[in-house]
Amino acid sequence: MVFLIFVLKNKMMHLRQNYTTVRLVFLFLSGVMLLFIVAPLLGLFFSTSLPALFETMKDPQVKGSIGLTLGVSALFTVLAGFFALPLAYVMARKEFRGKAFVQGLIDIPIVLPHSAAGIAVLGFIARDSALGKLAEAFGLNLVGSPFAIGVAMAFVSVPFLINAARDGFQAVPERLEQAARSLGASPFRVFRQISLPLARPSVITGLVLMFARGMSEFGAVVIVAYHPMTTPVLIFDRFNSYGLEYAKPVAVLFIILCIAVFMVLRLLGRKKTKV
Amino acid sequence: MLVCKDLEYKVGDFHLENFFLILEKGDYCALLGPSGSGKTVLLELIAGLRVLKKGTILIDGTDCTFVPPQRRPVGILFQDYALFPHMSVFDNIAWPLVIRNMKKQEVHEMVVRFAEDLDIARHLDRMPESLSGGEKQRVALARTLVIHPKVLLLDEPLSALDAPLRDQSALLLKKVSDTGITILHVTHDPSEVRMLANRQVAIT
Repeated sequence: MVFLIFVLKNKMMHLRQNYTTVRLVFLFLSGVMLLFIVAPLLGLFFSTSLPALFETMKDPQVKGSIGLTLGVSALFTVLAGFFALPLAYVMARKEFRGKAFVQGLIDIPIVLPHSAAGIAVLGFIARDSALGKLAEAFGLNLVGSPFAIGVAMAFVSVPFLINAARDGFQAVPERLEQAARSLGASPFRVFRQISLPLARPSVITGLVLMFARGMSEFGAVVIVAYHPMTTPVLIFDRFNSYGLEYAKPVAVLFIILCIAVFMVLRLLGRKKTKV
Repeated sequence: MLVCKDLEYKVGDFHLENFFLILEKGDYCALLGPSGSGKTVLLELIAGLRVLKKGTILIDGTDCTFVPPQRRPVGILFQDYALFPHMSVFDNIAWPLVIRNMKKQEVHEMVVRFAEDLDIARHLDRMPESLSGGEKQRVALARTLVIHPKVLLLDEPLSALDAPLRDQSALLLKKVSDTGITILHVTHDPSEVRMLANRQVAIT
């Protein structure tokens, strides 16, 4: 008994020496926070049976919706990149009147309720809008199309790309661009061969965030296109029509996919080091 | 030959007015002035990295005042060397030649020749971050010299180097100067250019 008390005392002394109270409190709070993120996901995983998961993987509606979600999000991330990267570069490098206002505009989609963003996008592509009328002249209806889904996804997720890329360009020393200009490069070549490669990790992070945010979007997408169903809409539809048990395997499958895509893209974006 | 006539430029608190400078071909001119006196700004104006408010810059008789930096026959060696960190030493030196669409073989030959001249041939495969200050400077100098500029602008090239390296670097600059290139060397320390410059101009 005395020996046990002695060991415990020693252990407590050791703990006290290595961990201050603040440190312990911070560790505890951090643990709670991490548990808050992980617990619902683990709960979902453990409450879904493997056979149900395999069955869902074979479901043509699920496969179709996953293909649509990934495809549209990837396509619109790349398309948005052509416009977002120059804008990010301008925001990083140029000082102009109203810059704070433009930054505010870029951030608007982040603060909007996503259903409201969906309504805004719907107004932009509806049949009575200029774009809707133009599409109708070619016999197309944009509402309820993959195009509408892509626009809704891009609208809510593009600020993540612009802001990440802007931070990346800002971190590139302007001196390097000046050196490149004085060595004979045009501004576009400097952008392509100096600024963009050096900002690459941030740009890839932005693309990953935009892609991931786009593919998981529900609120805006469901307003502009219930059909064809993206996976988040399908999860909602199954939950609404058949209940929790029927929605769970699709949710688990989609979460696994999201995490896998996220990890693969982050690994691809890792900076290669050479000495 | 470099001629700066009546240059005027303003940025923040710095105001350059009525600045005249005439350098003959092969001149080595030291531009002296205390820190914050706008020496670097002046180099950037000559290199075309800043746009003049007023005045004329002539290089070998050609008016370069409104010529963009990439078309000026000017090379600039920045104080922090500005080596491209994502390229090897070889690629850094080769880059100005590659963007001029030179043949691969020619590029290789030129890079090796300049690297040997500047004693950095053994570092060609290394990345800039692994080089010492003196080595970085020689790489930056090689990268600037491969384009055969008519005017070479040096921004405090010796101030960041340790004493023994400084002497080595000064010798190297003397060697470069002997090739007949016009050099404008900015510094706050008159002693470092005593043996190099044949002309001195002060900026306050």
